[in-house]
Amino acid sequence: MRKAVSEKLAGYFFVGPSLVGYLAFVLGPLIAAIGLSFTHYDVLSPPRLNGFGNYARLIADPRLATVYRNTAFFALASVSITVSLGVLLAVAVNQRLPGPLKYALRTAYFFPVLVGMIYAAMVWKFLFNRDLGVVNYYLHFFHVRPIAWLTSSSWALWSVILVYVWKNVGFTMLTTLAGLQNISREIYEAARIDGAMPVTAFFRITIPLLTPVLLFNVTITSINTLQEFDSMVALTNGGPGDASRSVVMYLYDKAFRSFDMGYASAIAVTLFGFIGLLTLLQLWGSRSWVHYG
Amino acid sequence: MANQLAETAVEPRPETGKPISGAKLSGIIETVIVVAGSVPMVAPFLWMFTTSLTSGARAFDLPPNWFPKDWHFQNFLTLFQSNVPFATFLWNSFEVAGTVTLAQLLTCSMAGYAFAHVRFRGRNGLFALLLTSLMMPMQVTIVPLFLMMSSLGLVDTHWAIILPLATNAFGIFMMRQFFLTVPRELVEAARIDGATQFAIFWRIALPLAKPALASLGIITFVNTWNSYFLPLVFLNSWEKMTLPLGMFALSNVYGSGNVSVIMAAVVLAICPLLILFLVAQRYIISGMVGSAIKG
Repeated sequence: MRKAVSEKLAGYFFVGPSLVGYLAFVLGPLIAAIGLSFTHYDVLSPPRLNGFGNYARLIADPRLATVYRNTAFFALASVSITVSLGVLLAVAVNQRLPGPLKYALRTAYFFPVLVGMIYAAMVWKFLFNRDLGVVNYYLHFFHVRPIAWLTSSSWALWSVILVYVWKNVGFTMLTTLAGLQNISREIYEAARIDGAMPVTAFFRITIPLLTPVLLFNVTITSINTLQEFDSMVALTNGGPGDASRSVVMYLYDKAFRSFDMGYASAIAVTLFGFIGLLTLLQLWGSRSWVHYG
Repeated sequence: MANQLAETAVEPRPETGKPISGAKLSGIIETVIVVAGSVPMVAPFLWMFTTSLTSGARAFDLPPNWFPKDWHFQNFLTLFQSNVPFATFLWNSFEVAGTVTLAQLLTCSMAGYAFAHVRFRGRNGLFALLLTSLMMPMQVTIVPLFLMMSSLGLVDTHWAIILPLATNAFGIFMMRQFFLTVPRELVEAARIDGATQFAIFWRIALPLAKPALASLGIITFVNTWNSYFLPLVFLNSWEKMTLPLGMFALSNVYGSGNVSVIMAAVVLAICPLLILFLVAQRYIISGMVGSAIKG
């Protein structure tokens, strides 16, 4: 009896620090953000309730529509490119290659994952320079006229996507590679004996057995890209104009430059809603396409 | 498919005059693509490294220098000799990332152990609750977080960053998955011998968990070392800034005229990551990839 009690206490003791951290720094602030979103609060005077005032502003705010469009586009492009490129690279590396080559390739593709986005962006910013940058220099051999990668509104967001993919494709590649190595060779052997072409085997065996990893990559990358901040700040500072500004950048400006805390909280609540809804949809929808074999 | 291709693709075979099979050809094409693709993956680092060792005047040479010619180490000395508080940034980053890592190793392993091996009411519910924070990024809760820290007087201190990061749902999940692989019988046997849960955790479970702790520790250190958003919100004096924050602020102040010095700073900021990666690659990969496979 005493043992059962002490076991219970031990459980709460072990979980305690994490639970306190969760309540104080995740759940508490989330509830507070929802509360603040119904107030006007400029830090100088105490918060004042204004009902759905902030939400009415949200709908009428053209800049918010722009940053949401940017974020959705950025997330959609980044997720689809990183996840599919990850599959292609993983399949290519999963061949019987010489050991050192395999190691070198894995290192080359994976190392950028560990490098902070700020550092990566500081380097890419120079490479993307219109007149003196390395990228345009090599493109001119292909008769491409100099591109204003970071300063033209048609390219800025694509440049950010490019750097995001460059930095993160190693992650999806390695997770996919691990998934591939879990697939037993006998399945392919059986398919080959049955006369299946390699392409058929890829679409009928490889892809279905990879779906749990694909779901993981899509979910994680969606959550990450919807809250992207660092790459846009460091590469383009959201510009030109709002061409590459994300929702979180806009939220940051509203909160810490205009001190419009209530409105910033309302933006945060909508973003949280979108992330939560999308994640649940992805997990729910996955039942129709993910095979747990 | 790829495994199959590998059988035929890359192993050199005597020339028989037969046409190359489709599988062999596609294997070769894949190899060429993946090798060619690695060039743009590596080139930015090469350019960064070379530029950090080039005098500022030659940094924008076209065609670009891909290998250092004049070994201009002055750029690195400039970082420590000028009035730029680079050494302070470096130390602050070590302090914050180190503290957060130690804190997470403790809190996540404790919680992970309890969720795997201790029976208490509400265990599964609590675990599910903690996992929901994976969907609640700090970006969403930053306004109340800032107001809380400022009312506690913690703005412009490292505590404002350390406290919110001291525990982490991903880490708890990872440690729980590891502890589930520790046989229940082992824990039960120790219980029957009269050991308390604390003793079992400390003397049996933790020593077994060294590889998982290494993975979690390295991933946490890297993430904190690189983090920009929280320091940006909370730190505003030069003496308190961490590397990414301080360096980015400085690079904007100096402009592109000092590209060589900026690249020297980036090289130094990336160095610890490169060393960690080369020394502990398998822990990093098993930690990051393991969550994808088991999840």
